[in-house]
Amino acid sequence: MLKHFKTALILTTLMIVVAVALDSVYLLTKKPIAKSDLNAKLSAIKNVLTDPNTGKLLIKESEIPKSLEQLNSKVWKSDPSGILYENDKFKGYVLSPAYKFTTTNGKSAYVLVGYGIGFGGRVVTVAAFVKKDGGFYENAIRVIDYSNETPGLGAEINVPKVRKRFYSIPNSGFENGIKVNKDANLYPLKNGYLSKLNSYKSKGIVVTSDVMTGATITPRAVVSTLNTMYAFLEKEAKQ
Amino acid sequence: MSDDKSKISNLNVLTAGLIRQNPTFSQVLGLCPTLATSTNAENALGMGLATAGVLVLSNIFISMIRKLIPDVIRIPAYISVIASFVTIVNLLMHGYTYQLWTNLGLYIPLIVVNCIIMGRAEAFASKNGIWKSFLDGVGMGLGFTGAILLLGITRELLSVGTIFGVRIWSKTYGMFVMMLPPGAFLVIGFYMALFKHIANVRKTKKVKG
Repeated sequence: MLKHFKTALILTTLMIVVAVALDSVYLLTKKPIAKSDLNAKLSAIKNVLTDPNTGKLLIKESEIPKSLEQLNSKVWKSDPSGILYENDKFKGYVLSPAYKFTTTNGKSAYVLVGYGIGFGGRVVTVAAFVKKDGGFYENAIRVIDYSNETPGLGAEINVPKVRKRFYSIPNSGFENGIKVNKDANLYPLKNGYLSKLNSYKSKGIVVTSDVMTGATITPRAVVSTLNTMYAFLEKEAKQ
Repeated sequence: MSDDKSKISNLNVLTAGLIRQNPTFSQVLGLCPTLATSTNAENALGMGLATAGVLVLSNIFISMIRKLIPDVIRIPAYISVIASFVTIVNLLMHGYTYQLWTNLGLYIPLIVVNCIIMGRAEAFASKNGIWKSFLDGVGMGLGFTGAILLLGITRELLSVGTIFGVRIWSKTYGMFVMMLPPGAFLVIGFYMALFKHIANVRKTKKVKG
C-alpha cells in the first residue's frame, strides 16, 4: 500500500513540476504567439485584397490595416461566440469578425476568415470577395493555418501554384457550390486542361489533382470554407 | 589514467550517433517524420533542430530523475517529460518561427512519439549520468539533423534545382517525384545503401589489418 502511495506521489510531483514549467513557457510565449498570428492575418488580408492578375491593391494603400486597432475599425460583423455562420451542407464555418472595405472604384470588398476540416483539424482560410454583377467575385485566398496537414501533401495548400487554383472564381461558379475536380468527375485530367482552368472555375470546378498529387482532403476543406463564405455573403450582404 | 578513459568514453558517446549508430541510416529510427518533412532543406533543418532540442533536454531531465522514478512508472514518466519538452518547442516555434511552424505542422507534436527520443531515454539516459546523457543527446540529435538535412538537400536539389531556395540548376531538370513519398524512399534507400557500404568497407579493412 505504502509502495503504491509513494509511486502515486512521485508521479503527481512530476506532473506538478511539468505543469509549472509548461505554464511558465505558455505565459512567456503568449504575446509572441498572438503577435505572430496577427501578423499572419494582416499579411493575408493585404494579399487577398490584391488583384492576382495585375498585382495592384483593390483598396487604397492607406486603408490596409497595419495594427489590431486599424483592423478592428474595419469590422463589419462580429459575434461573441467566435463563429458568424455555420453551414451544414458545405461543412464549413465563417469566423468572427468579418471585415468590409471599399475598393478604389467604390465597390464593397468583404474579407472573411473561415475554416473547413482537413486531415488533421481546422484549415483556416482568409478570402476576399468583391460585390459585383449581382453576386460576389472571389478575388484571392490565403491559407493561414494548415499546421495539422501532412507536410509534402496537404501542407502544400498555401504554395502559390496551388493557391492560385482557388483564385478569381466568378459568382456563376458558386451557384451550385464549387468542387475539387475529383469530386466533379473531372479525373483523370485530359490533355490541354491547363488552358481551360478559367472555364472550369466559372463552372465551379477547382482543378487541384495535378498540383496536389495524393492530397484531396485539404483542398476539399478550402472548397468547403469558400462555399460557406459565399453562402454567408448571399445571406448577409446580398441587399 | 581514469581521466583519459573517461575522455575517450565521452568522445565515443558524442560521436556514436553521428555515423556508427546514426539513428536514421544505421538504426532506422524515426523514419515517419524523416521521410515526410524532408521535402526541402529548410523544413528538414527545422525538424532536425526541433527534434535534437527535445532529445537533449529530455535526455538531461530523464538522467536527473532516473533514480527517483520507480521502474513500473518509468514509461509514463518519460513520455510526460518528452511531451512537455515537445509542447515547449511547439509554443516557441509558434511564437518565433511562424512560417516554419506552419510548414512542419503536424510533425512537431508528433516528435513525442519519435522513437529516437524514447529509445535514447530508455536505453541511455535512464542508465547514465547527466553529462553523458547530454553528450548522447547532442550526438544523436546532430546525427538525426545531419541525416534529415542530407535528405532535404538532396530532394530539394533533385526536385526543384535549389538548396535552401538558392538556385543551383534550372527547374527544367527537376524530377517532381523527388518531392513526393516515392522520392523520399528512393533517396533514403540510396543513403542507407551508401552507409552500409562504408561500414562494410571499414569492417573488411579492420579484418585484413
